[in-house]
Amino acid sequence: MVSIKASVAAITLLTVCLLATNTSAVYHECCRGYMTLKLPFSAVRGYSVQTVTELCPINAIIFHTKKGKACTNPAFNWVMDYVNRIRAKAQMVHIKTSKKQD
Amino acid sequence: MDPLDEGFENVTDYNYLNPPCVYKNNHSLELVMGPYVHSIICILGFMGNSLVIVTYACYKRTKSMTDIYLLNVAVADLLFVVTLPFIVYNELWSWSMGPVACKLLRGSYSVNLYSGMLLLACISTDRYIAIVQARRSFRLRSLFYSRLTCAVVWVCAVLLSFPTFYFYHWYEPSHSREAFMWNPVTPDALDYNSTYGWAPEGDGAQPPQYVCEFRFADNGTAWRTKVAVPSTQLAVGFFLPLFVMIFCYTAVIVTLLRAKNFQRHKAVRVVLAVVAVFIVCHLPYNITLFYDTLGMFDQHTCEESDALQTVKTLTQTVAYLHCCLNPVLYAFIGVKFRNHFRKIVQDLWCLGKRYIAPRRFSRVTSEIYMSTRKSVDGSSENGSSFTM
Repeated sequence: MVSIKASVAAITLLTVCLLATNTSAVYHECCRGYMTLKLPFSAVRGYSVQTVTELCPINAIIFHTKKGKACTNPAFNWVMDYVNRIRAKAQMVHIKTSKKQD
Repeated sequence: MDPLDEGFENVTDYNYLNPPCVYKNNHSLELVMGPYVHSIICILGFMGNSLVIVTYACYKRTKSMTDIYLLNVAVADLLFVVTLPFIVYNELWSWSMGPVACKLLRGSYSVNLYSGMLLLACISTDRYIAIVQARRSFRLRSLFYSRLTCAVVWVCAVLLSFPTFYFYHWYEPSHSREAFMWNPVTPDALDYNSTYGWAPEGDGAQPPQYVCEFRFADNGTAWRTKVAVPSTQLAVGFFLPLFVMIFCYTAVIVTLLRAKNFQRHKAVRVVLAVVAVFIVCHLPYNITLFYDTLGMFDQHTCEESDALQTVKTLTQTVAYLHCCLNPVLYAFIGVKFRNHFRKIVQDLWCLGKRYIAPRRFSRVTSEIYMSTRKSVDGSSENGSSFTM
C-alpha cells in the first residue's frame, strides 16, 4: 500500500510545478461557420484544409490573406476554383524549378 | 484586376473574413480551471478515495456486498483523479507526453467515467433490494453476485470506451500546420506545403502543436462517431444511472417512511443528498453536452461556440467535483466507517509527530506502511455494512 502522505506530497509537488511554469498557450482554431461574401483572388496567399475527420466539426477551406484567415465553404464553386488556381500556379513553379535544376 | 480588390484593401471589418474561432474565453477559463481548480479536485478526490480504499484494505475484514461496490467506486474515482492532472498537463502543453499517453489517458478517463456512474446505479439497486425487497435480499445480496456485477460493470466500461481508445489520436491538426502558401507579389516566395511558421508573414517559428483528439479515416465514420460517442456517454453515463437511481431511491424512501425506525429520517436525508448531489453535479454538464451534440455540425458564430465551450468547461469541472463527494456521501456517512477512519487518523497523527520532522521522507513512508500493517492485525472489529 502506497502511503497517503507520500502520494499527497507528490500531487502537491505536481501542482506546484503546474502553477510555477508559464503555459505556452495552445490555441486550436476551428472554423465554425463560413464567410458569406466572396474574396478577391489577388488577396489570397494560400489555403489550408479543415476536415471533419479531425477535431473540428465542419469541413472548410481556410484562405490565408494579408488581413488574416478566412473560413470558406468548400461547397461553393468559387472556393474550389481558387484552390485549383493556387495549385496550378504551384505546379507551374514546380515544373520551372525542376527544369532549372536539370 | 478584380473590381473586388479595391474593396478588399479597404476592408477593416474582421468579421467579413469569418476567421477560424480560437475560443478565447474558453481558453482563458481553462488556464484558470486547469491548474488551480482541477488540482484542488484532484487532491481532495485523491485523499478521500484513497482513505476509503485504505480503510477497506487494512481496517476492515469482512466485506458485504455494499462494501464491494463502495470499494469499486473508490477505485474508479481514484483512477479518475490520478489521470486528471496528466490530462490537464497535456492539454496545456500540447500533449507533450506523446501518443501512448494520449490513448491511455483518454481511454482510462472514459473507463472510469462509465464504471463510476454504473457502480452508483448498482449501489442504488443494492439498497433497493436490501430495503424494499428485503425478503429476497439474502439470496440476491451475496458476495458472489456483487463481485460478478462489478466485473460486468468494468467490462462494460471498457467496451463502451473502445471507440474513445480507438479513434483518439495524437497528431498535429492538418489545417493549422499545412498551409499551401502562395505569395502573389513575389512568386519565388512560394512555399510548397509549408508550415505556417515558415511563411513570409509568419509570426515566428513555433514548435509543433499536438492535440489528442478524434481522427477518422473518412467523413462517414467521423460524422457517426462524433455523434455516437457523446450520445452513448449521455445515455449510459448519465440517464441510465439517473433513472435507476430515481426508481430505486424513490422506492427506498417510500419504504423507509412507512417503517417505524427512529433512524429513518437520517436515512431519507442521506438518500436525498445522494440523488441531489448526483443531479447537481452531472445534470448541467450533460445538458450542455446534449446541446453541443445536437448542433455540432451546424454553423455557429465564434461568440456562440466560444460561449458553449466555456459553459462546457465550467460544468465539466462541476461534474468532476462528484468524485470528491462520493467518499463523503457513500462511505464517511456510515458510523462504522467513521470509526475506522478515526483510527487511521490517530495512527497517522502519532507517526507524523514522531517521524516526519527528523527523518527522510522515504524512510517515513515505509514506517507508516509498517505501522499500518501492524494496526491491521490489531483491529479485529468487523461489521456487516456501514451504509446508511
